[in-house]
Amino acid sequence: MTIFLDNLSVDFDEHFQLHNLNWEIKETQHWVITGTNGAGKSALFAALMGAGKHLSGQIRDLPERIGVVSFAAQEELINQERKKDDADIMDVISEGTPVRNIIFDDCLDPHTAQQLIARFDLNYLLERAFRQLSTGESRKVMIIRALSCKPQLLLLDEPFDGLDVDTLALLQAHLQELVAQVPMIMILNRFDEIPAFTTHIAYMEYGQILHQIDTQDAEAYDSLYQLLHLKTTDLSVPECDADTAIPKLDQAQPLVKLNNLTIKYNEFVLIDKLNWTIEPNQHWQLSGPNGSGKTAILSIITGDHPQCYSNDILVFGFQRGKGESIWQIKQFIGYVSTALQWEYRVQISLRNVIISGFYDSIGLYTKATDRQKIIADQWLALLGMSARADQPFQKLSYGDQRLLLIARAMVKHPPLLILDEPCLGLDDINRQLVLALIEKICAGSETSVIYVNHHPEDKIAGIDNYLALHKSTP
Amino acid sequence: MSNNYFNTLPLREQLAQLAKCRFMTMDEFADGVSALKGKKMVVIGCGAQGLNQGLNLRDSGLDVSYALRAAAITEQRQSWKNASENGFTVGTYEELIPTADVVLNLTPDKQHTAVVNAIMPMMKEGACLSYSHGFNIVEEGMQVRDDLTVIMVAPKCPGSEVRAEYVRGFGVPTLIAVHEDNDPKGEGLALAKAYAVGTGGHKAGVLMSSFIAEVKSDLMGEQTILCGMLQTGSLLCFDKMLAEGVDAGYASKLIQYGWETITEALKYGGVTNMLDRLSNPAKIKAFDLSEELKTIMRPLYNKHQDDIMNGTFSRVMMEDWANDDKNLLGWRAETAETAFEKTPAGDVEIAEQEYFDNGILMVAMVKAGVELAFETMTAAGIIDESAYYESLHETPLIANTIARKKLYEMNATISDTAEYGCYLYNHACLPLLGEFMQNIKTDVIGRGLELDDTGVDNARLIEVNAALRAHPVEAIGATLRGHMADMKKIV
Repeated sequence: MTIFLDNLSVDFDEHFQLHNLNWEIKETQHWVITGTNGAGKSALFAALMGAGKHLSGQIRDLPERIGVVSFAAQEELINQERKKDDADIMDVISEGTPVRNIIFDDCLDPHTAQQLIARFDLNYLLERAFRQLSTGESRKVMIIRALSCKPQLLLLDEPFDGLDVDTLALLQAHLQELVAQVPMIMILNRFDEIPAFTTHIAYMEYGQILHQIDTQDAEAYDSLYQLLHLKTTDLSVPECDADTAIPKLDQAQPLVKLNNLTIKYNEFVLIDKLNWTIEPNQHWQLSGPNGSGKTAILSIITGDHPQCYSNDILVFGFQRGKGESIWQIKQFIGYVSTALQWEYRVQISLRNVIISGFYDSIGLYTKATDRQKIIADQWLALLGMSARADQPFQKLSYGDQRLLLIARAMVKHPPLLILDEPCLGLDDINRQLVLALIEKICAGSETSVIYVNHHPEDKIAGIDNYLALHKSTP
Repeated sequence: MSNNYFNTLPLREQLAQLAKCRFMTMDEFADGVSALKGKKMVVIGCGAQGLNQGLNLRDSGLDVSYALRAAAITEQRQSWKNASENGFTVGTYEELIPTADVVLNLTPDKQHTAVVNAIMPMMKEGACLSYSHGFNIVEEGMQVRDDLTVIMVAPKCPGSEVRAEYVRGFGVPTLIAVHEDNDPKGEGLALAKAYAVGTGGHKAGVLMSSFIAEVKSDLMGEQTILCGMLQTGSLLCFDKMLAEGVDAGYASKLIQYGWETITEALKYGGVTNMLDRLSNPAKIKAFDLSEELKTIMRPLYNKHQDDIMNGTFSRVMMEDWANDDKNLLGWRAETAETAFEKTPAGDVEIAEQEYFDNGILMVAMVKAGVELAFETMTAAGIIDESAYYESLHETPLIANTIARKKLYEMNATISDTAEYGCYLYNHACLPLLGEFMQNIKTDVIGRGLELDDTGVDNARLIEVNAALRAHPVEAIGATLRGHMADMKKIV
C-alpha cells in the first residue's frame, strides 16, 4: 500500500517545523533521505512516528508495524531502562532487563531474531543487561528488534553508523534480502553508503523536502551528490598560487570608476552618462530588465566592449586607452556568465578548465605549473569532481559546467568577481549548488562580487550595494 | 606595367628566398609589443582583417587608428562604420598617414598598387609599411621608398578567427617576413615580431619566412589543393552521384559537409589519420585511387607551379584586373550555375563515420591534392615548412567555408587572387579527370563499399600503411603539429 504525506506541517520544539511535505512512498520503493545537519530528516521520522504538534495536512495509509532504528529510539529505550532502575524501591542493585528479553518479549518473528543473533554473533551477550552494552552492541540489538517485528515499513536513521566493518556488511546483506518484502526509508548522509537497491533519494533542507529523485536519473543523482558534498564538506576555498599572484592593488583606490559612461549604437543610446564606483571589498548587485545594458556595462569593465576605449574609465588603477593591454585588466577579474559558457567550446579536461583561470583564457595554451595543478585538484575536490578531473569538459552537465567555470573564475582569487546571472538556465538543484558555491567563496575570500540579476528583489546575503538599470527605449 | 621582382633576382637568390621558412621559438617573443609601444599605427582598409587585427592590436595596448578614403568617410560606408563604432579614430589618408610610424596595408591585393602609390609620398621619413601578403612587392615589383621599412605579418586565418582566437587568449598561426631591400634601420624583424605578438599570433606559432616564399607557396596552395581541388572534386563527385541515381539532397550534403569532416581528421593527424578513418579495404581503395589521381594530375600541378614561378599566372591575372575582371566575374557566375551549387543539402542524417565510408573518392582527392601540392612546391625550392602550411594545414580552413555555404562561400571568403587561380585549375582539371571519372562507381562515392568480408591481404595493407607514413608531408606535419602539443587546440 502506498503511504501518502499530503501538505504535512508539523511543529517541534526549538522553533523547528516541517513544512508542507508532499511525499508518496510506494510499496516497491526504497528511499534514502539526505540533507545537511538540521535539515529535518530525523524530525520527519519522528513525525511519521506521531511526534510533534500537527499543524496541517495528513499522513495516510501508514502501516501498523514499523521497524525503527535510530539513535533517538535507542536513547529512548536506554532511558526506559534507567527509569526502571530508578523505580526499583528495593535496596538492591538492578541488573536491568537482559538482552534476551529486550529482543524476544513481544517479538513477532522470533525465527528472524534467532537468525540475526547468530549472524551478528551475539549469543554471548543475550544474558547481559541491555543498558550495560556498548553503543555498537546496543545498536545491533536495536536492529534485530526492528527487523524481527514483521515490519511493513522500515525507518532506518543512519543504520550503519557505529557498526564495525563486518557487521556493516552483514546488515547490508540482510537488508538486501528484504528488498522484495518491505519498503525502507533510510536517512544517510554519506552517498557511498547508499545501498544499490535504493530506488529514490529525497533531499531535505529547512524542514522541507526540496528534491525527490529517481536513482536511475544519473544526472540528477550526480547533482544531488555534489550538492550534499558542497553543503557538508569541511574543505574550504583553495589558496591562490603564490608564484603567479596578481599584483597588489592600492586599497585607497576604487576598483572600478565609470565616469559618465555612455554606450551607443548608431543613434541608439543604451547607457546614458552612468556614474558608478566600486570600492574594494564592496559587494554589488546589478539588476534591470532584459536589454537594459547590464552585460554591456560589465563588458566595459572587463575590456570586452570596444567602447571602453571611447569612455572615461578607471579600472584597477588603469585609465583605459593609455597603452595598457586587455590582459593587464583581465588578471584582476573573475568572470562567469551564460555567454562565457557558450564560448567555452574547446576540447579540454576539467582540471585544465580550472587552470585556464590563471591565464584568463578559454582553453589552455600555456604549460601549467605543478602548483597550479595541485590547486586545480583542490578545487575539484571542493566541487566533488575529483574522480572526473581528466574527463572532457564538454561531456559535463550544464550545471556542472557552470560550477566549474565559477571555480575557474575564482582560482586566482581576483579582487573582482563578476557573476552575470550565474543561475540562468539552471534547474533547482543546480541553482542551489551554484549558490552554495558562491556562499562558500564569499565566506572565504577578499573578493568583491558583482552579482547580476533580473529581479531587484532577488537579493543574496552579504550584498549591500545596489544598482538598478531601467530599460532604454530606442 | 609592373615589373616582376622575383624575376629580377639571380637564381641563387631566388632559391635562397624560397627556402626561407623557420618555426620561431616562444623565447624570441620575450620583448612582447615593446618595439611598437607608443608608436602610431594606422590601418588602411577596414574589412575583416583590417578591423579584427586592429581590435587585437589595441587590446594589446597599442595605438591604432584607421585611414579611409575621403569618400568612405563622407558616405559613411561600411568600413567607416566598422571603425568608428568600435571607438577608433578614423581619418583620411591626408590626416593620418603623415603621423603614422607604421602603416598597415590591409586592403585587397588588387588595390595595393593604387594604395601604396597614394600613401608613399605622405609617409614619415623612416616609417614602416606593413603588408599581409607579398603579391604587390613580389609579383608587381612595387618599389618602396628607400627610407621606409617594409615588413609582412600574415595571420593564416580569416579575420573573424584572428579576433575570436585572441579573445580566447590564444592566436592564429602567423607568417612574418622582412623585405630585405627595405630594411634601412635593421628594425624590420623587431617590428614584425611585436606586431605578431599584438595580434596574439606568437601563442599559436610564428613562421619566419620571406616575401618570395610566402607569395610563391601561397599562390600554389590556394589554386591547387585548397580551392581548386575542392571545387573540382565537389562538381565531379556530385555529378557522378546524380548520374548513378544517388538522391540529390544526400549527394549535396555528403559533399558540402564531407570535406569539412574528412579534413578535420587531416588537421589532427595528417593524411595518415585521414586514411586510418577508413576500413582496411576502403583505405586500400582510397590509396589506389589517389595514386591514379596523382599520376593524372601531376602535370597540371607542375604547370601551376611553373606559371607561378615565372610570373605567367600573375601577369595573366593582372590583365584581367585591367579588363574589369571580365574573366573572374564570368567564372564566378558559371560556378553559381552548377548543379552542385544549386542543389540544397537534403534533410538527411549523415553520421560522422559515414562521410568517410561513403566518400572514399573525396578522401583520395584530398590525399592526392595535398601530396601533389607539397611535392610540387618542395621540388620548386620551397621548403617543407612553407609547403606544409600552404597545403595540408589550410585545407580544413577552406573546407569549413564550403560547409557554411558551398562554393559560393569559399570563393567569397578567399582572396580574388585565390579565386582566379581556383577557376584556372578547375577548368583544366575537369576535362583532365573525365576518363578517370568514367570508371568511378558509387562504391567509392555515395554508397560505400559493399563487402561481406572486410578482410584484406596483409602484405598489401602493410605496403599502403608504410607508403602513407613515409610521405614527407607527414614528417614535417608531425613536427609542426608537435610544436603545439602542449596547447589544446580550439575545435
